[in-house]
Amino acid sequence: MNSLTDRVGLGWRPDLAAGILEHLDAIDLLEVIADDFFSAPRGQVRALKTLAAQIPVVFHGVSLGLASSAPVETKRLDQMARLMDQVRPEFWSEHLAFVRAGGIEIGHLAAPPRNSSTVDAAAANLYRAQTAVGAKPLVENIATLIDPPASTLSESAWLNGILSASNCALLLDLHNVLANGLNHGYDPLEFVRQVPAERIAAIHIAGGKFISAPDGSERLLDDHLHDVPDPVFALLEETAARAPGPLTVILERDGDFPAMDSLLAQVAKARRALAKGRARRSQPVEAVA
Amino acid sequence: MSSSSTRLETFLARLYVDAHARANFKANPRAEAKKAGLSDYESATLENLDWIGLEMAARSFAKKRHLKRRPTWFAALKTRLSHLRFFRFVR
Repeated sequence: MNSLTDRVGLGWRPDLAAGILEHLDAIDLLEVIADDFFSAPRGQVRALKTLAAQIPVVFHGVSLGLASSAPVETKRLDQMARLMDQVRPEFWSEHLAFVRAGGIEIGHLAAPPRNSSTVDAAAANLYRAQTAVGAKPLVENIATLIDPPASTLSESAWLNGILSASNCALLLDLHNVLANGLNHGYDPLEFVRQVPAERIAAIHIAGGKFISAPDGSERLLDDHLHDVPDPVFALLEETAARAPGPLTVILERDGDFPAMDSLLAQVAKARRALAKGRARRSQPVEAVA
Repeated sequence: MSSSSTRLETFLARLYVDAHARANFKANPRAEAKKAGLSDYESATLENLDWIGLEMAARSFAKKRHLKRRPTWFAALKTRLSHLRFFRFVR
């Protein structure tokens, strides 16, 4: 059992700064979007260093495109490396996505075709990232509204292939698992069970909303603008029951910010889900399955 | 990595950001895929594309690009105003 070392924190957003700083005693760590500081003035980086001296900080990247077939841009890796050197966060993470191709900026995280070619490409990019930055990133599964075409592997097989080829740890985004499961017809709980538990080091929890499709059906959009729904907490409990190592859980909220009490209540709920999952680890396996 | 994978990602990126490219592709998937230099296998799989997902993803990406273009002071102001009951009502 590693329940004593599990941690729950928040994504750092300027709008939440005052509330976070008032409640540092209720938050174990902060996750900072590294890309926001790549071109920031020196004063802002200094402020980030001051923050990191008060509370553990981890970095999260959103624009490298590590699962792209094209090599990740050296300039972006150098920016990450420089910021890592300046602030020295505990770890850094990035998405398994492509965000640009052939000079076209998509503007967000897109799922590449899931096949052996993109497994190899992602592993090569992760090696480049490790070499440039000096530390392996944790890799995160993404949400996708479209089932990526030309895929020959299931999402879990593709993810496991990259984890195996790169030897990276996993940042498991549970709302992304929920959204992809609902949108593309698989059981989110089963997905969590198919991921190598020993690789899970961090977890994202967030909320989204159902949006209407042109055919009248609905799909779950991972917009980070809503409270964490109960099925995500159930997935968190399951993950805690399976993962042998300590877990770092981050609550992501990108807008329509509620009162700080509401966010702290979700942090507390995450702690309870973790504790319930950890308690299950001490029970016979039959009770877990 | 294989140039085939790179071509496919470029083709998908164009579909995600360009409504005309989506319309052309929907009208004649095999020909558009061939024109982009995709393999027979890739062209065939693209014919069975998740069209609804494509439109929804394209809309979502467009919204993200729009938000990124918007000045940060505007986003900050909107958030601050949203805490006032009156602005929450009229939003």
